[in-house]
Amino acid sequence: MKHLARQFRRFLAYKRTLAFGLLCIPFASAADLWLTILVGDALDDLRTATDARFLATLFFLMLGVAFVRGTFRFYQRWWIVGVSRYVENDLKQALFDKLLALPLSFHHKNRSGDLVSRITSDVENIRMFLGPGLMYTLGAVCMLPLSIGTMVVLNAPLAAAVVVPLCVMGLGMWLLSPRLQRHSLAVQEAMADISQRAQETFAGVRIVKGYAREDEQTTKFDAASRTNFRHQIELGKARGFSNAITWGSKDFTYLPILLIGGWSMIDRDFAAGDLFKFVDLTFKVFWPIIAVGWLAGVFPRAQVSAQRVQELLDAPNEIEDPPVPKELAEVRGHFALTDVEFTYPGASEPTLSGITFEVRPGEVVGIVGATGSGKSTLLNLFARLYDARGRFELDGVPLAELRLATLRGAVGYVPQDSFLFSATWRENLSFGSAHALTDAELAELASLSCMTDEVARFPQGYDQTIGERGVTLSGGQRQRSCIARALAKDPPVLILDDSLSAVDTETETALVRHLKSAGHGRTVILSAHRLSTVRHADRIVVLDKGRIEAIGTHDELVMRDGWYASTWARQQAQEELAEL
Amino acid sequence: MKAWRKPTVEPEDHLDEIPVPKSFDASLFGRLIAEAKPHARLFVGAYGVLVGLFALELAGPWILRGAIDGPVAQAVDARARHADAFQSAEFVHDLWFWATLYVLCAGATILFRYLEVAHITRTGQTVIADLRTKLFRHIASLDLAWFDKRPTGQLVTRVTSDVENLSEMVTTGLCTLAFDVVKVVVAVAVLFFLHWKLALLVSLSLPVLIGVSLFFRGGARDAHRLVRARLARTNGYLQEVLSGIRVVQVFRREARVSERFAGLLGRYLEANMRTIFLFALALPALDFVVNAIQGATVWTGGIEILGERMSYGLFLQFWFYVKLLTNPLQELGERYNVLQSAFASAERVFGVLDTPPGLALAPTASARGVDARDFRGHVRFENVSFAYVEGVEVLSDVSFEIPPGSTVAVVGATGAGKSTLVNLLLRFYEPTRGRITVDGVDLREWDLSALRRRFGLVLQEDFLFAGTVRDNLVMGRTEIDDAVLSEALEASRAGPVVAGLAGGLDAPVAERGATLSTGERQLLAIARALAGRPELVILDEATASVDSATEARIEEAQQSLLSGRSALVIAHRLSTVRRADQILVMHRGRIRERGRHQELLRQRGIYARLHTLQFAEAEIRTP
Repeated sequence: MKHLARQFRRFLAYKRTLAFGLLCIPFASAADLWLTILVGDALDDLRTATDARFLATLFFLMLGVAFVRGTFRFYQRWWIVGVSRYVENDLKQALFDKLLALPLSFHHKNRSGDLVSRITSDVENIRMFLGPGLMYTLGAVCMLPLSIGTMVVLNAPLAAAVVVPLCVMGLGMWLLSPRLQRHSLAVQEAMADISQRAQETFAGVRIVKGYAREDEQTTKFDAASRTNFRHQIELGKARGFSNAITWGSKDFTYLPILLIGGWSMIDRDFAAGDLFKFVDLTFKVFWPIIAVGWLAGVFPRAQVSAQRVQELLDAPNEIEDPPVPKELAEVRGHFALTDVEFTYPGASEPTLSGITFEVRPGEVVGIVGATGSGKSTLLNLFARLYDARGRFELDGVPLAELRLATLRGAVGYVPQDSFLFSATWRENLSFGSAHALTDAELAELASLSCMTDEVARFPQGYDQTIGERGVTLSGGQRQRSCIARALAKDPPVLILDDSLSAVDTETETALVRHLKSAGHGRTVILSAHRLSTVRHADRIVVLDKGRIEAIGTHDELVMRDGWYASTWARQQAQEELAEL
Repeated sequence: MKAWRKPTVEPEDHLDEIPVPKSFDASLFGRLIAEAKPHARLFVGAYGVLVGLFALELAGPWILRGAIDGPVAQAVDARARHADAFQSAEFVHDLWFWATLYVLCAGATILFRYLEVAHITRTGQTVIADLRTKLFRHIASLDLAWFDKRPTGQLVTRVTSDVENLSEMVTTGLCTLAFDVVKVVVAVAVLFFLHWKLALLVSLSLPVLIGVSLFFRGGARDAHRLVRARLARTNGYLQEVLSGIRVVQVFRREARVSERFAGLLGRYLEANMRTIFLFALALPALDFVVNAIQGATVWTGGIEILGERMSYGLFLQFWFYVKLLTNPLQELGERYNVLQSAFASAERVFGVLDTPPGLALAPTASARGVDARDFRGHVRFENVSFAYVEGVEVLSDVSFEIPPGSTVAVVGATGAGKSTLVNLLLRFYEPTRGRITVDGVDLREWDLSALRRRFGLVLQEDFLFAGTVRDNLVMGRTEIDDAVLSEALEASRAGPVVAGLAGGLDAPVAERGATLSTGERQLLAIARALAGRPELVILDEATASVDSATEARIEEAQQSLLSGRSALVIAHRLSTVRRADQILVMHRGRIRERGRHQELLRQRGIYARLHTLQFAEAEIRTP
């Protein structure tokens, strides 16, 4: 409950609109009641009336009241549900901003599917409960006392008798709701089973067909489908009961009206119009009660969702600016690592340990090693995407003591997955720059990243949309675009995470030269699977299972027996073969 | 809250990607009725329930009228005339009669209200349960080329939510909506029978109600599509940012990204406000029209009561019937929308069912059955060429032979065409040119399903299905008993793997064998092939690295699988190529070299280089 209450506070940002919306509810309910009373009174008047002219007046009065009621109903829905949508947006924005701020270690732990579902379905559950849910509850809260009060004034014993079926319905729905929930859960699970059977068959279609197993899989699928069928039938029965209880108690409300009302009319001159009022009001109290029942049903779900949303909002952010952040007037790009160790949260073994080396300003340093040796992890530490143990300094200041903006502002980063947005080429490159890039700047970057010819072939030039909805770039083009984006920043330090793998060897040589020369003594740290990429680096660090196996230049490492020399030989042979 | 105006659709909304609800399509209904035919009884029951319920709905107000116009009116009348001699007992007795009648009616209604949901759900689910399996069976029979073009997720949607939507077509379309029409017609007729003047007035105003209902339906549908499009856009950006969170953080662009997201949220909000506006307007507008009809009823009814041409009871009955009439019309728009999206699903489902079944199910009339005693597994590829995409040949003019009992190993770089050989031998695809024979008979003339059962298949993906270990080894082949199974487990060295699992052969296998290690999965895949005592083995050796102890076991297991059988192996192991009777060296879709290991090494050609690449390290490890 307290989580939902916390989310409700967001509604208070719109308290005026919300208050107006809520205020509409009693008026709309009152107008609704008035309509019933108008017709009932008219029926009574008919007994004594001599001329029918008052009926015309009544008709137009009814239209007027109905219009007023409609107007209130309109504003009630428009304002309350509208506010709930505004709140939904505020909450989504808050969650999004939180996700942006949370460190990579958090994103590493949490699957993006789960995060997305918190921003989408959990927020929707909360909105439904607090927005429309609130509206329906208040509608019931207004309509019930008004209607029942009116009934009591008209005929207290009859009113008491009418309330009985309503209570029976409430009780019945309350008793039935666990059964409804149980069966709908079972249906969902059976549905998941069906979906899993389909998934494995369609994904493993080669094995299925190769073993001529179509029939067996169909039998299994059919079994899952039958289970789902059985649960659907059970759910249908439970919903049938709920339908019977709801309508049945409504029908049975007319029994006391018929019996007690009729008796009163026979015995004591109970007016026909009053009887009509009872009948009509029974209609009108029914739906709000059903709505409240529905609300009670979704309450547990809304509660869980509110908790999940709050968990995310409260997630601690480990990587932040230190209390007294240090600045660097000018970043030279001198990194010193001493006995650096890093363990992923939840992992038992460290991914990196005992890492000690130095990157001097203006140097090109290559990081190589087998898959899983820790290359990417090491590169991530340079931008403090994770915090590591041991000493890790930039220009003599430990990274954790630097202002985060200073550190990351100095680093140009090219990710391994060559991530680009589905946006225009210009927008993607401008992501690296403080301003929208001009054509001249883009031309310069295209040339630095060896993309001039390819960009010239884009149908829309620099404003070509790339990705799914636009031009699909080749792996090499994506990598070079990412490099151009990093260069747009003109950073003193450039980090490339295996970002040249899809670029041909010739272009690669030119690129590495550009990276180094364009930045006037820029420090470049690059990892690679293909050793020709790092061949000309000033120094090469060879990682093996998270430790440094060797450090040296290409020529030194080739001479030394070890991973580097044997991999080099293999890759050379591979290239020769490819040229056959 | 100002944004009630119709939002302008932007090109970035990609509205075209949100399925357009399909309008009424009689042919789809026809298809559905054909599917439903075997369950005609259920439908008869469903209509029976609806008719019964409707009759009871009509009966209730009739009883109320009977009571009011009968004992109550008579009592009021009697008392007005002889106030002093008035005896209520007789009238109350009459009232009890009507009340009893009402209890019977209401009691029966309860039963029918239950059946209304329970039986109609059963009807819908019965039809789709059959259809779902039929659809699945059909998909499973389609060509591999058909699967290549479609993401698995999309296919899963066909047999899950699309079929589920079809049940709406049965319940909402064939049952409720169809009967609503009957209801409206009958209700109008009854109204005319009761009081034609009043009925005329009511029925003249019904088109207004229908018009308003349908008018809002159109607007709501369009607005809703825009909401979905914009939600997809917002969520797409969210996904994108989450996958590129490193880039955002290193480039310190949190503020810019957040602003962009705010912009998308704003557009989503705008579309939502439009929907809310339409609904906020539609619901009171429909109520208003109903109120106006009621007002007119009171007006005219009042005049008739005054003129003593109408009783109170009749008025009340009329009042109830008007509600009975307007309810389905108020919900008409909503139901029509449900039906439309069901139509869109139906079109997709029937579209799949209309795809002609694949090669597998289309054997020639004289399809050859497999006689296990005679089957030798003698394979010949004769000048086979193949292209997945027209014009791009991945195999060119390939010819070779696997004599019974001999092993042919295929080696080559990635993309050389090795897996295509396997795909063609399994007849997942047909050669574009040339032909493949088994025991001298063209592959196309075999009963494929029987033939494939003679193959022992081990693929790279070593796919395991949810179920027990036994299920995964037996794979539905009834001839495999426990004796055969334990023999296969022993020969494949997978015995210890199974013994190590809690439950042994009956241990459950999680999704895709997630609980087993790579090496264990490979051993089980070999055991699976061995269990079938195949004459012909097709083996695509896994490249994933395993520790050396497991590696040794896999090698032994493979040896028992290959010995004495014809085999086509895509080789990655040195031990395999050394033992092979013939090695085919594939390069860019052609066989460039062929021979035995030592001969090929001496040629110093492609094989020699490949050997250095793939097997050199193994050569050092295993002298």
